[in-house]
Amino acid sequence: MSDRSLAQRRLPTGVTSRIVSHVGLALAALLCLAPVLYIVLNSFKKPEDIFQVPPSILPVRWTAENYESVFASGGFTAYFTNTVVITVVGVGLVVILSSLAGYGFAKLPFRGSGMLFAGILATLTLPLAILLVPMFIMENATGLLNTQLGLVLPNVAVCLPFAILIMRKHFADIPKEIEDAAEMDGAGRFRRWWLVMVPLTRNGMILVTVITTYSIWGEYTLAKTLATVPQAMPLSVGLTLLKSEVWEYGVLAAVITLAILPPIIIFLIFQRKIVDGVTQGAVKG
Amino acid sequence: MTARTLEPPLSRADDTVSVMIASGGRQSPQKRRDRVAGMLFVLPAAVFIFAFMLFPLVYSGYLSLTRYNFVRQSTPEFIGLDNFARALQDPIVLTAFANTAVYAVSYFVIVMVVSLSIAMMLFRKLRFSTFYQSAIFMPIVVPLSLAGLIFVWILQPNYGLLNHLLANVFGLPGLAQAWLSDGTTAMAAIVVLSLWATIGFLTILFLSGLQAIPEEILEAAEIDGAGGWRRFTEIIIPSLRPTFVITGTWGVLHSLKVFVEPMVLTDGGPGTSTLVLYQHIYVTAFNYFDMGYASAIGYLLGALILALVGLNYVVSMWKADKDV
Repeated sequence: MSDRSLAQRRLPTGVTSRIVSHVGLALAALLCLAPVLYIVLNSFKKPEDIFQVPPSILPVRWTAENYESVFASGGFTAYFTNTVVITVVGVGLVVILSSLAGYGFAKLPFRGSGMLFAGILATLTLPLAILLVPMFIMENATGLLNTQLGLVLPNVAVCLPFAILIMRKHFADIPKEIEDAAEMDGAGRFRRWWLVMVPLTRNGMILVTVITTYSIWGEYTLAKTLATVPQAMPLSVGLTLLKSEVWEYGVLAAVITLAILPPIIIFLIFQRKIVDGVTQGAVKG
Repeated sequence: MTARTLEPPLSRADDTVSVMIASGGRQSPQKRRDRVAGMLFVLPAAVFIFAFMLFPLVYSGYLSLTRYNFVRQSTPEFIGLDNFARALQDPIVLTAFANTAVYAVSYFVIVMVVSLSIAMMLFRKLRFSTFYQSAIFMPIVVPLSLAGLIFVWILQPNYGLLNHLLANVFGLPGLAQAWLSDGTTAMAAIVVLSLWATIGFLTILFLSGLQAIPEEILEAAEIDGAGGWRRFTEIIIPSLRPTFVITGTWGVLHSLKVFVEPMVLTDGGPGTSTLVLYQHIYVTAFNYFDMGYASAIGYLLGALILALVGLNYVVSMWKADKDV
């Protein structure tokens, strides 16, 4: 008993059940990776090879011409620019606003702050469908419809509740003594927040940055509603317009590959932090 | 240095005193400044959430009581609860509701069973577990609408990957078909896309729930001689209660908010066979510009979500007290 490892003690480790687990997990992993690999491989095929019957999984003749067409045509520049601008500005705002609010909720409770926090969390269950009509009417009236700012603002609002939840927890975990020490040095509230507290919530801010980047980069519903002309659309909506334009498939595969690459790269860099953070935020929050 | 190490207990006592004073109606200037500061820190985020969530929610509530064709009318016309009465008898709304129910039940049951199973397998910490975990979690970062495009391609009848595999690799050409042209297989495709995109996330939640079960509980079951299945149903499932509240809530929300998948894969078709409620709200509002009616259906969807989230909580915590 004592020389068995911790993991082995937890569940029976018959050879059969271990093989079943390996097969199950390998199959699940393959199914999860397959669609992404498929689109990446197709993006390196010559257009005529994509429609070959029967199709081949690996490119018969590797080529980068689809990527050359993407950059040469410039037809996707607006989609890329919109996605990048909306994501960068949106994430910046979410990180700043959630750090401010998270600190306020964690360290400076005021009358009704508990209720306000609960109310903000309750918005997580709201279906956006209820909000789309008023958002459209408001943005139409204020001229925000079909602008980048018009997509940044609602995205920020939608991402804030979860970000505040994470940041509040990270600020609450900072011992009171640390802030008290800064207070004795005579630093004001805002300077203490900026110089002492914010640097200590680095992990929380990374987590908020990464999660918000995914949310906004791939956001579809708001963009579908508030960007009604192609030049205002981000990738997530713009590319779906090409769904039935069959002759574009090689190029479309290349654009999709370019569009899903940034989130996947970020995932590969931060995956440990993301997995830990998501479980903490969800389970303990 | 000494002064600082002594400081904390003192300042805590000080806090208690000032809170007592504050609750008596008088506040120390320091405490009052802190409260005002707290409000100022929270204010910017609160403004965003008010402007883009709370205000639209109230506005939409008002619109749900009006007839408002955005293109033809300049102002909404108040009609009371007519929109709600109309929605409950509208055949398309009922179809969309039925489709949503079919989707929700299939998705919810499969996603819970599969992600818990995968989590149980990962929990054993086999060789390559880290790789498996990364691969299974990866789809959650792929933008859903673009994943939808990839699926459209995979399901394409003539040169798509799925029919190719069925006909040429597995030798089952009879199964190859135009997946998105038939109501049943189109709905199945929507469920599969959702599963692909979300199983990794729920697996991670279940895995962390499993890891939180105290070692002694699992060991005690082993000494009792409880077999694999009995241990699963009598020890592991009850211990995962808090996890089920979270994964269940998330699953309910995702089930009823499904929108991107049918928009990209099927546009609700063929016919209305994959039209879901969320999508019908969108179409009513932005294709027919019937915005009052769309708001009313939105509120019905919101009520349904609240009811099911509540139900999930009650079921997950059922008899929780007796077990502990």
